[in-house]
Amino acid sequence: MADDATLRRLLAEIARGGADQLAELYDLTSPKLYGLILRIQRDRALAEDVLQDVYLRIWQAAGAYRPEAGPPLPWLCTIARNRAIDSVRRKVEHQGPELDHGEDWVARLIDPHDGAADFLDRNALLACLGRLDPMHRDCVVLAYCEGQSREDLARHFDRPVNTIKTWLHRSLAGLKTCLEAVS
Amino acid sequence: MSGGRPGMEPTSERDMRAAEYALGTLDAQDRAALQREASQDPATASRIDEWERRLAPLMGAVPPVAPPPRVREALLRALPDVGGAARDELRQLRRQMRRWQVAAAGSGLLAAGLALFVAVGSSRSPAGGRYLAVVQGGGALPALIVRVDTQTGLAQVRPVGADAPAGRSLELWYVGAEGAKPLGLVGAAPSQVKLPQVTAPDGVIAVSVEPPGGSPSGQPTGPVVYTGKLIAE
Repeated sequence: MADDATLRRLLAEIARGGADQLAELYDLTSPKLYGLILRIQRDRALAEDVLQDVYLRIWQAAGAYRPEAGPPLPWLCTIARNRAIDSVRRKVEHQGPELDHGEDWVARLIDPHDGAADFLDRNALLACLGRLDPMHRDCVVLAYCEGQSREDLARHFDRPVNTIKTWLHRSLAGLKTCLEAVS
Repeated sequence: MSGGRPGMEPTSERDMRAAEYALGTLDAQDRAALQREASQDPATASRIDEWERRLAPLMGAVPPVAPPPRVREALLRALPDVGGAARDELRQLRRQMRRWQVAAAGSGLLAAGLALFVAVGSSRSPAGGRYLAVVQGGGALPALIVRVDTQTGLAQVRPVGADAPAGRSLELWYVGAEGAKPLGLVGAAPSQVKLPQVTAPDGVIAVSVEPPGGSPSGQPTGPVVYTGKLIAE
């Protein structure tokens, strides 16, 4: 994975219209972004459309990236995640079978694959996730990493949608309080 | 959510909506509503930003997957091929726009900047070449309604609630390959302006806030904030 300085330079050049730099940015970051998109949008053809749309947005919005708002990779990843979520929420029916049921995302975060160190404050978030009720934590992590909706989670945990909503709100409020305390 | 007026929700509820947006659990309708709200309300946008930052480390847990090469090829083919001079103008205006968005977000002065970018490119022309844009100045009511007809080469500008900031004028521009050309001031009454003979693909129409009587330099100098969306009629 490319370092922050390289990505910042590429974004600045893309903002000035550098198409070659967009290709370079694509080569450096598309596996990470595609990985995120594909976990959420499981239809590969649709996931590819989302990926292309994400880089067209980056092409248009590169100048809006402000270094003081944080490192560039999470900024790019957030665009990808949001477009992937938009793409699955537009469909009424959740698509396809899950790829590998029961992925332990928290364990992956503790023992990360390449690239996880690019995200700041990993330990703080891990510590705070660890303080949540395990089922509530799974709810948050499945929503975030796999794009599961409240309805998906209700089926997954065999609970009413309103219960899921309560769990999510309780967990998110707990995370916020905890992150503010540890940072 | 409750579907009521967002401004009336207690802070914690607004924060939870932003949190669920960042988490991804809002439905399509609520997501779209919050995206719209964030584009007009810097406080909403920054609540979402904060939540996205809080949760971002989780993205580190998801392993990369190499996309098939066809995506890269399709992406590079899809990049718009804009001519050099027009591109420079567009870039300059976009930069100015972004600066103002940043400034407006910081100072809550969104309503002070009124502007519009309208692409009049033939590549995106709807049948009949007519577009409608409703320009908002940060409030709920439209400030300007602009009708662009690329076939007759005329743009009609109808102010609805457009008050130029005290002591300033609103000026309409066409920006094409030869640079920005002033089209005239936006007055209190509806007016009609002629577009230049050559309306190149990817030309834009912009409204900027200028000193009284219009820009002294013949180029846009004032705040430019994207607030209008172009709708094909």
